[in-house]
Amino acid sequence: MSASVLLARRNLTRNRVRLVASVGGVALALSLTLALDAIYAGVANQLTTYIDRAGADVWVAQAGVRNLHMVASTLPEAVVDEISAVEGVAAITPILEATDTVAVGDERAVVYVIGLPTDTAIGGPWEVAEGSNWVGPGEIIVDRSFARKAGVTIGDSVDVLGGQARIVGLSRGTASLVNSVAFVSFDDFRAMRGGAPVISFALVRIAGSASAGEVAADIERLVPGVTAQSRAEFVDQERRIVTDMSADVISIMSVVGFIVALAVVALTVYVATLARRRDYGILKALGARNRVLYRVVLVQAAISVAVGFAIGLAFTALLSFAIGRTDLNLELAITVSSLAKVGLFAAVIAGLAAILPIRQVAGVDPAVVFRRGAPA
Amino acid sequence: MTALTLDVRDVTKRFGDGETGVLAVRSVSLAVEPGEIVLIMGPSGSGKTTLLSMMGALLRPTEGSIHLDGTALSELSEGRLPDIRLRQFGFIFQDFNLLSALTVLENVAIVAELAGLRPRAAREKATAILTDLGLAARLDFLPEKLSGGEKQRVAIARALINDPTLILADEPTANLDSKIGHEIMRLLRRIAKDQGRSVVIVSHDQRIRDIADRVLWLEDGSFKDIVTMATDPVCGMAVERERAVSAERDGETFFFCSRGCRAEFLGVSVDGVGN
Repeated sequence: MSASVLLARRNLTRNRVRLVASVGGVALALSLTLALDAIYAGVANQLTTYIDRAGADVWVAQAGVRNLHMVASTLPEAVVDEISAVEGVAAITPILEATDTVAVGDERAVVYVIGLPTDTAIGGPWEVAEGSNWVGPGEIIVDRSFARKAGVTIGDSVDVLGGQARIVGLSRGTASLVNSVAFVSFDDFRAMRGGAPVISFALVRIAGSASAGEVAADIERLVPGVTAQSRAEFVDQERRIVTDMSADVISIMSVVGFIVALAVVALTVYVATLARRRDYGILKALGARNRVLYRVVLVQAAISVAVGFAIGLAFTALLSFAIGRTDLNLELAITVSSLAKVGLFAAVIAGLAAILPIRQVAGVDPAVVFRRGAPA
Repeated sequence: MTALTLDVRDVTKRFGDGETGVLAVRSVSLAVEPGEIVLIMGPSGSGKTTLLSMMGALLRPTEGSIHLDGTALSELSEGRLPDIRLRQFGFIFQDFNLLSALTVLENVAIVAELAGLRPRAAREKATAILTDLGLAARLDFLPEKLSGGEKQRVAIARALINDPTLILADEPTANLDSKIGHEIMRLLRRIAKDQGRSVVIVSHDQRIRDIADRVLWLEDGSFKDIVTMATDPVCGMAVERERAVSAERDGETFFFCSRGCRAEFLGVSVDGVGN
């Protein structure tokens, strides 16, 4: 271990209170940023879960519609036959989709209502905790968390799309912080919406050797009035909507976390340096060069931030695990990009926090050794 | 070890300018031979610490020059001085000035590491020196757990770790009791004579005269002839013979810092009446 690292480590660990304050402050501040990023990534994951898990390789929507959230897509039913004729298309499932509420008494929840054909292999719930995984006339599958919250179970009725439907299945993994997905029969959905011969989206399965991107491009080229995207593109568009909606909040909170962490580290390293001012003078008198002493300060800041970062990460992971065990429809996803961003934050914080203490060290007069102070 | 002569030539140090300026050291010259122990004494404010700081390359003289082993310290750039301090000087301080966060072993080894020794080698060398100074059982202790004498021995070990040519000691016995002070003095003598290192000590402690090869008296920033100095037999203070009150007893002349000390020595009251 080099002299700088040894001194930095000892300077930090000899004063436990200061160490806890420094590392704890950094951990708390970085946890704030990490947790917000994780919540954002988790919400984005949840909001795109249906697109990811519905089973479609290509999503076809009304021209100009590129995502699911807060938009409506209407296509004539005849478009299904036109899409079928495109090379590379193996199967098509038309679905109806609308954002609505499912209500039981006073309990209401926002849902994406999906109208499913009875014979479909894709587009339905991918995991059913209880009951049926397909819906017939007058039936509905709701997310288990909504059912628990509303106090309903299989056989009970709920209000949806201006009518009533009987719960036949409870799905799992179909709820997010802001909404969930409910499945009704295609015919019921159409009837409740006036019976017009339209669909919202066409979910396309492609042949084994085909490329989703190429098939989507062919569909757009050959079928007028549609926008076709591969699943990956559709997910990306959906995530972009979430990003656009929450970017400001995330950015503000990240800046707050950054400033808090910076202030905590800068203050504690500054105080630690002031407290050891005489020691730095002794080292200078003995012949230590300034750059060695600067390195001590930098390493102190870096250790504080690195340990704080590790604790912050562990705390966020623990929080994520704990929340996953609750009924909250919240997922905390710690992503590599978030770790890289917060790690970079931490490195910048360590560097900035060391500037002021380094100026202090630079100003220490080595002749301090001849002034009478408290003996070591 | 390289033979050394510390050569201080006509050095002056002035703090501030004009009427408020203070002349701390005036035209002082001093040559120290290898293995020689030089004791510089003098009243508080006489310029001892300023002179020591200049000799240790911690302060630049306003005028004059200081040569260490033929190298003019006062002409070296600031960037070269830390290396000189690290390798050529060993410092011993009144307040010990150990690093409170480091153990005894680390306090000594870190100075060798700063001089470029690998950590393992530095620790081995520090262990050997500390063991030689009787501190083998204290290697992992923090300074706060040591007695004053032990702290000063650690400081001496630290001063020796880079094989310096010159040891500068500032009041090395001031915070120690009489017995420990003697131990430290004997140790410094052993270092000078056995290892051939030159030692310059600044102190008020009269006992150090016993181990010094030469004693210099610094007053008002300049050396005064030490032969004119005498020790008050009552309070132990160094006094100038010419200015001191004196008394004869059994054919010998004694010098005192005050009439009170003389009266106490003679067993009479201050106005000359016997007690």
